[in-house]
Amino acid sequence: MPHLKTAYAKYRNDAAVAFVLVSIDDDDKRLHRFLDEMKFPFTVLHANKDEAQQKMGFDDLPATFYVDRDGIVRFEARGMESHGDSRDRVSWFIEQLR
Amino acid sequence: MAAALFAQSAARDDLARGRAFWDQRLAQSAMAALEIAARDKDTAAEAHEALGRLYTFKGWQQESVFPGWHDEPAYRARALAELRAAVTADPSRRSAQEALRIAEGFASAEKVDPAPPREDVKALDARIDAYRNAAAPIADLEAAIEARAKAQADPAPYFTGAQILLDRGEHDRAIALAERGRAASDRFVGENLSAYQMAGKSQGAYSRGRATAADLIGWAAYLKKEYDRAAASLGDAERLSRGQDFANQFHLGELARATNQSDRARQHYLDALALSAGPPSLRQRATDALRAIQAGDRAAGSFDAWLETELTRRRDERRSAALKSVVDRALPPLTLTAVDGRPYDAAGLRGKVLLLNFFASW
Repeated sequence: MPHLKTAYAKYRNDAAVAFVLVSIDDDDKRLHRFLDEMKFPFTVLHANKDEAQQKMGFDDLPATFYVDRDGIVRFEARGMESHGDSRDRVSWFIEQLR
Repeated sequence: MAAALFAQSAARDDLARGRAFWDQRLAQSAMAALEIAARDKDTAAEAHEALGRLYTFKGWQQESVFPGWHDEPAYRARALAELRAAVTADPSRRSAQEALRIAEGFASAEKVDPAPPREDVKALDARIDAYRNAAAPIADLEAAIEARAKAQADPAPYFTGAQILLDRGEHDRAIALAERGRAASDRFVGENLSAYQMAGKSQGAYSRGRATAADLIGWAAYLKKEYDRAAASLGDAERLSRGQDFANQFHLGELARATNQSDRARQHYLDALALSAGPPSLRQRATDALRAIQAGDRAAGSFDAWLETELTRRRDERRSAALKSVVDRALPPLTLTAVDGRPYDAAGLRGKVLLLNFFASW
């Protein structure tokens, strides 16, 4: 997930783009320890694990969705392999939706 | 009198079975047997303690003990309750008091380390490994495999053993062991299903075990020159590993080459090399095989440049294939809160391009 922080640097001052992390942890202590460590510079929220999986249709983590300005989900990247390794990949998706 | 004695020995049996299952890390069977033993007053204290220890492991200590396992916070309160029940059933029971003290420490700790590796199991693994280069009798190796499988029920000893037998030219015995490994893997995952937390992760664990077995069986068949059987089994392994296993792609390459399908062989060798895994010696063999195929097919062009282009293309394709366009649906309404539990108003996100990343700290 450090790559999200790197990718975010480009959009930090961009009011048209938002990064939101959603934790589905069920262990508060552990989540807060993780957040203290990672110090994410963007919004971190929490959702119920089962509800999130069911509504968003993922069964592995991380699951990343790109949503356009009209609230339509336009891309989904599952797991680390396809997505997790590159800052350019994150900004490619964002730029498609501008 | 006789009935009471009989009941007592039945409860003793359940307790012994439960403990033995748990020693092997067969959680579901262990819990079922121990729960029965906990209902009999003669075995209640011991059974509650054993359950409490099992739940303590599941709640705080099973993270990454096996690939894909995560702690299950839902078991934490149950661990404390079982251990308290054990102490209540027999207030003088030292081991239960000690286990309760440890679990209470975990409950108030900031962080609990996963359970350490089991020394007995490690020693038995080392015994199997010692047969890699030895010319010891096969029966001794097989005894070492049985001993390790009895100590802990995961499929590793069967798969390691099958590989060693393959290297020693014992193809039929290797196939038999790989088949037992597949059964052990299915059972082990099933017994510990909740430890995987998500359906995708437990499915992945099932598939890994089955793919490993299918690849071993297919490779053994290839070495026996039973090419049809090899093709079927290596193909199963490819489907189960979604083409992402280096050894399997290499094996498919070797099979295609042995059956004079050079286009196919080229694809599999390239698919193998485009993965970042595999020991250097096998990567070299795949590269050499490709060089030989290319030399036969086209005289001109630099092999190295061709290889680099092909590998880059494959890596890019693999990335984009993993992207599934769900999509083109409105973002479903989700109940989102701040991480401190307070309500969150998503109005501020409206009209923006949104990156929404679901994660867990485990």
